[in-house]
Amino acid sequence: MLNFISLLKNEQMKLYSRFATWSMYIILAGILLVGALIVFIFGEENEQTYGDDWKGQLAQENEELLEMNEDVGFVGFDSEIAVNEYHIENDVKPHPYDAWQFTLENAGLSMIISLFTIIVAAGIISNEYRWGTIKLLLIRPISRTKILLSKFVSVLLFSVTMLVFLFIISLVIGAIFFGINGWNPNLVQMGANEVEEVSIFAEIFTQYGLNMVNLVMMATFAFMISTLFRSSAMAIGLAIFLMFTGNTIIGFVAEYDWAKYILFANTNLNQYIGSGSPIIDGMTLGFSITVLVVYFVLFLLVSWLTFTKRDIAGN
Amino acid sequence: MTTSMELQDVHKSIGNKQIIKGLNFTIKRGEVFGFLGPNGAGKTTTIRMMVGLMKITSGDIKINGVSIKNNFKEAIQYVGAIVENPEMYPFMSGWKNLKHYARMIPDITDERIKEVIRLVGLEKAIHEKVGKYSLGMRQRMGIAQALLHQPSILILDEPTNGLDPAGIREIRTYIRNLAEQEQVSVIVSSHLLSEIELMCDRIGIIKNGELITVEEVQDTNTENDHVTVKLDVDDNEKVKSILQAQLELETKIVQDRVVANLAKSTVPQLVRKLVEEDIAIYEVAVERSRLEDKFFELIGENTIA
Repeated sequence: MLNFISLLKNEQMKLYSRFATWSMYIILAGILLVGALIVFIFGEENEQTYGDDWKGQLAQENEELLEMNEDVGFVGFDSEIAVNEYHIENDVKPHPYDAWQFTLENAGLSMIISLFTIIVAAGIISNEYRWGTIKLLLIRPISRTKILLSKFVSVLLFSVTMLVFLFIISLVIGAIFFGINGWNPNLVQMGANEVEEVSIFAEIFTQYGLNMVNLVMMATFAFMISTLFRSSAMAIGLAIFLMFTGNTIIGFVAEYDWAKYILFANTNLNQYIGSGSPIIDGMTLGFSITVLVVYFVLFLLVSWLTFTKRDIAGN
Repeated sequence: MTTSMELQDVHKSIGNKQIIKGLNFTIKRGEVFGFLGPNGAGKTTTIRMMVGLMKITSGDIKINGVSIKNNFKEAIQYVGAIVENPEMYPFMSGWKNLKHYARMIPDITDERIKEVIRLVGLEKAIHEKVGKYSLGMRQRMGIAQALLHQPSILILDEPTNGLDPAGIREIRTYIRNLAEQEQVSVIVSSHLLSEIELMCDRIGIIKNGELITVEEVQDTNTENDHVTVKLDVDDNEKVKSILQAQLELETKIVQDRVVANLAKSTVPQLVRKLVEEDIAIYEVAVERSRLEDKFFELIGENTIA
């Protein structure tokens, strides 16, 4: 166990000794800052403050939304109206836009973290081959399995660190631009069947957590490709291509029954939570989790088999 | 002498192609063993099998009696190695690089790392990034990482590759010291005979995946061996006739020297005879029968670069 921690320390040291890794944090912080500025300058949420007569304001808002609904001709704003009604009926004054909501919206940025994690996962094995250091790495009294595992855990550690960084920086930047409403304000939102009031902290946690699923799957996939082909470019390319086209592919084949066994039909667990609905009828949360676990184990198994059995031959 | 490493009928096939065709040899404690062969003869493949980077198709390699095949973790603890170039992480300092490898072996203290750094003389540059090091410094880093855990066997694949003469000399001194003072067995591979002839006790020659011969470097000059003697004397013609008439030796004159080929044991007799004949002798030079000639005989021309 002690030497597993040493291996993790080694991997983290190698990772953070390179500017490329730090630049990922800088880019993420930059995107957040620009996002906050755009919302601050052009955003409507920011100006929408509710005064003492907030019930009247909400009622008026609802009327406008109803009119728009009629204009458009289909149900477009039903959930907004329901949320507003909930506020009025239950005497809950809506909070103005603040750091918590900013943080919640930024859960979508975990897509960027997925991208960075894929880059790290794709390089962590293949770079050792590229640098030639793999030869010095594998002639230590440590099994290849352990070295592989330490590298995989390091990738996960990196993504969690980045996610925590995203969370904290969002909160800080949000607090600077929009202020903050207490430590754990409630959020009124559309649930599965009805409007519900949830703790925003729990909601942020859920959203970040759900995004982790996709992240971990794609990172594991990149890790496998990197081990298999010893090429980080190929691993990054394939993983990112699949990440962006996955949903499109599902769209094309959704009519077939086997489509539900495709990885990308299952990575978005949001489909089972709140107002979401499954991409393909008949899919359940349990089914998706099973499919995800099978893929996860398969990816790791392929990595493990190639890494432990392969001869380290010339470059 | 105890055995440090033993190769037992080691074979390696890749696909249908046999690359190593049954190697058998042992390396003794505290000796420097040269592993010589032309490029592509299977030196690096053999070394990669010794350190477990490549699987052994059949046969076994025992390190201090422990099989690298069946008990990798224990066997590899006795081994320090550089396989081909000493590649390090260029974006980290020398210190971090060594720390990295030290963490992978139990019980390596920072003091030990410092000791090794002193040994290879890298104190000044150790906190600079390895990317800025010269090839010679990186070669020394390579030796430093191989020595961290005080191995009893050191394996160096082409350790003098790309070094200048001063660097080669330095490495040679390190290796001799390790073998003589610390009783470390050193295996050095090279495709250049002249490089390893000077530092090895024994040299094994490999060609097309087969061990052709193992030669003792000191042993090439025994009493019965024929040696070439060059004589610098005052009267070449007189000496020539004395040698031909009285000792029945074939002689010729090359570059104002009398050159004769004779058994080493007859050299004293030759000198005595010349003194008796009142010849002024300025120099008697015995040329060692060169290993190189022997090796060319064994593996043919154009194979040792």
